[in-house]
Amino acid sequence: MASSKRVSIMPAPKPPFSCAPNIVIADNASLTGTHPISVGPQSVIHPRTKLNSTYAPITIGSSCIISERSMIGLQSAPSDYQTKGVVIGNGVVVEVGAVVEAMEIGEGCVIEVNARIGKGAVIGKHCKIGAMCEVAEGDVIGDFTVVYANGMRRVDRGGVEDLKLRMVGRQVEVLRKLIPSNPAKFQ
Amino acid sequence: MAEFKPYTYFQCPCTDTSFSTRRRIGDSGPSSEEETDEDERTFDPRAPRANYSLYPLEHLLYCEDCHQIRCPRCVLDEIVCWYCPNCLFEVPSSSVKSEGNRCTRSCFQCPICTAPLSISSTESPPEGLGAEYVAQSGPYVLNCAYCLWSSKEIGIQLEKPNSIYAQLAKIKNGGEPYISPKERRRIREERKGDGEESQGSEMTLDPNEKLDAESQFANLKAFYQEQLAESSPASALGFTGDYGYGSPGALSRIMGLYTGSSFGDKKSKSRSSMMREAQSALEGLQISSPSASEESIARLRASGWEGTCSTAQRLAQAHNPRFVSDLRPIAHLLRTKRSKRCKTCRHILSKPESKVQNTRFRIRLVAPNYVPRIAIRPLQPGPAAPQALLLTPLRPTQFVLTFSNPLFDDVRVSIATPAKTPGRFGSRVTILCPQFEVGANTDVWDEALREGGAGAGKGGEREKRRTKAEASEGQQQAEAGKVWERGRNWVSVVVEVVPAVLKVGEEEKKDEKEEEEEQEEEEGGGSRYAGPLREDEDILEIPVFVRVEWEADVAQDEGAGLAAANNKDNKEEKEKRELAYWCVLGVGRIARD
Repeated sequence: MASSKRVSIMPAPKPPFSCAPNIVIADNASLTGTHPISVGPQSVIHPRTKLNSTYAPITIGSSCIISERSMIGLQSAPSDYQTKGVVIGNGVVVEVGAVVEAMEIGEGCVIEVNARIGKGAVIGKHCKIGAMCEVAEGDVIGDFTVVYANGMRRVDRGGVEDLKLRMVGRQVEVLRKLIPSNPAKFQ
Repeated sequence: MAEFKPYTYFQCPCTDTSFSTRRRIGDSGPSSEEETDEDERTFDPRAPRANYSLYPLEHLLYCEDCHQIRCPRCVLDEIVCWYCPNCLFEVPSSSVKSEGNRCTRSCFQCPICTAPLSISSTESPPEGLGAEYVAQSGPYVLNCAYCLWSSKEIGIQLEKPNSIYAQLAKIKNGGEPYISPKERRRIREERKGDGEESQGSEMTLDPNEKLDAESQFANLKAFYQEQLAESSPASALGFTGDYGYGSPGALSRIMGLYTGSSFGDKKSKSRSSMMREAQSALEGLQISSPSASEESIARLRASGWEGTCSTAQRLAQAHNPRFVSDLRPIAHLLRTKRSKRCKTCRHILSKPESKVQNTRFRIRLVAPNYVPRIAIRPLQPGPAAPQALLLTPLRPTQFVLTFSNPLFDDVRVSIATPAKTPGRFGSRVTILCPQFEVGANTDVWDEALREGGAGAGKGGEREKRRTKAEASEGQQQAEAGKVWERGRNWVSVVVEVVPAVLKVGEEEKKDEKEEEEEQEEEEGGGSRYAGPLREDEDILEIPVFVRVEWEADVAQDEGAGLAAANNKDNKEEKEKRELAYWCVLGVGRIARD
């Protein structure tokens, strides 16, 4: 694989998918829609992840982990302010069953189990959206915010962001060995 | 409106509230003569005191010796052991007394979100081959996995990953060490010595010296103990260090209280005047500085909403902090395992295994094993819409009550209700079959085999109404005096209810037209018809008196060991048992017009 990025436009059922050569994408991940989907290097897409680009494009950064049954991309027609689609930064972990429709998710965020992020929401860097938490449409969450419990928020000044990013990197390495990858299927 | 679920509450006979309450509230039955007759009294589930005697069946115990239901109010609790819910270590009662009811090992809760904290090293984990075998080192912090709080935020780092409680007790927020009690005592002694030598007045009033809460308390305590000891070895109050109620001073004071004479009053007065108050920081005096509140306001301004504790967070802390930076990790509260005894016969009703990890019970006499369970469901399955589930006033509605027998003997059940439910809005209630027999809770296989075996024996004799009902798809009519359905160890009967009208004004008029009794009732308590509909007054609650009779094996009963010994030769002897109690059936909500 000489070129780092290879864009190939597929017929109608498959969305235009571009990815770095060293990503891990499971065979039975589901990619639907018509807008382009791009995944950065080192990212892991688990089986049964649903990437839906019917309404807007999806951009996933490097070293991200997108878990099973999570739904990325707009699930309904976008509102006026969300034209660039869903942008997920580097080192983001989206856990099982989370629904991400956000406009932007910053670097090193963790979206926990069954959390929901509404359309047009902007989430800063190194945030954590706790399990089952919801972020409303168009909400803007600053850097280092932790959303937990019943919509409670606090700003975390722990200063261990680098450590966490490194941990995500190690997790990706383990997952590379565990998940059989088949990027060719989607191209 | 929230969906209404039918419920059954059982009244524990330990509190016979019906008589006194009803007379007090004025929610009495038709006539006062009836009240005197014990059998005629109806239990009023709406009486304010009824709340304290009604329990779901699962909350009740059963005393095998008294043959009676026991509720949480008529059992005695005994603590079997204390344990930490986090580390599941048993804490001896002596250390609970000396160190309080919190885990003194390493179990802490997050002060922000109450999730358990875990300890981790601030150093990045070692990498490379065999990294997992390398022991982590360096300063440790407490981390909350849920809200990502870490003790770094309050400036606390620990040296060891274990015995955190002891380590935390030595560190203030910010990392400064606390003065240990021993150290504090030493300093106090030293300072006192200096003060006596110099006799300087600057020592006595030292408002600038700031003490932390613990030091201040220790100083104050030491000071007052000293004062008490000086004023008299056994002072009037008798608080010589310990709460010495047994001291002569305290005794004389108590005697004085009872006899009215001034037993030791003069002495105590003269002595108490000798006591002085704390005068210096050494003695625990802290002068509140006028700028303190300004300081906290300034701090509030600087830290903002984010830096301020919520009420819940403040309440969880011992020192009532205002700011997030003053919070401290909360040690886990200990829990107890308790055994329960019957209050009347002192027999143990429930005893858990004393080992903390073991969730089994050694003894557990729970009421569901002795008392028939009652389930309610409407006879006609209604539409699913919540509005339609409401009971229409004045339209007869039928409910099926299913009694299931947990005992291994056949039981005879008789049930009774007042014709009209007590309270402001009396609904008419009719039980179509008030007496019936419920089969024993025998082995399911026994029954199946018996039925297979040519229908001989008890199973064959029984009415097979159940199959009949199934065949006609529930179209049959409920007949008076007959059981609706019957199974192995259960019987269902039909109750017909005519819900009352919930209009306050109309109720009065309607009642007047009705029976004379009710007119009397109105005269008796006219005030209770006034006022709007109270909370949950639209729920139709039916008080039901249940009497269960059965014949039990005497030999089976442990309590009747003596009797069993006497009747050793004829083991077949049966004993008649009876259990009678009130239940409340919450049937449904009555629709408002």
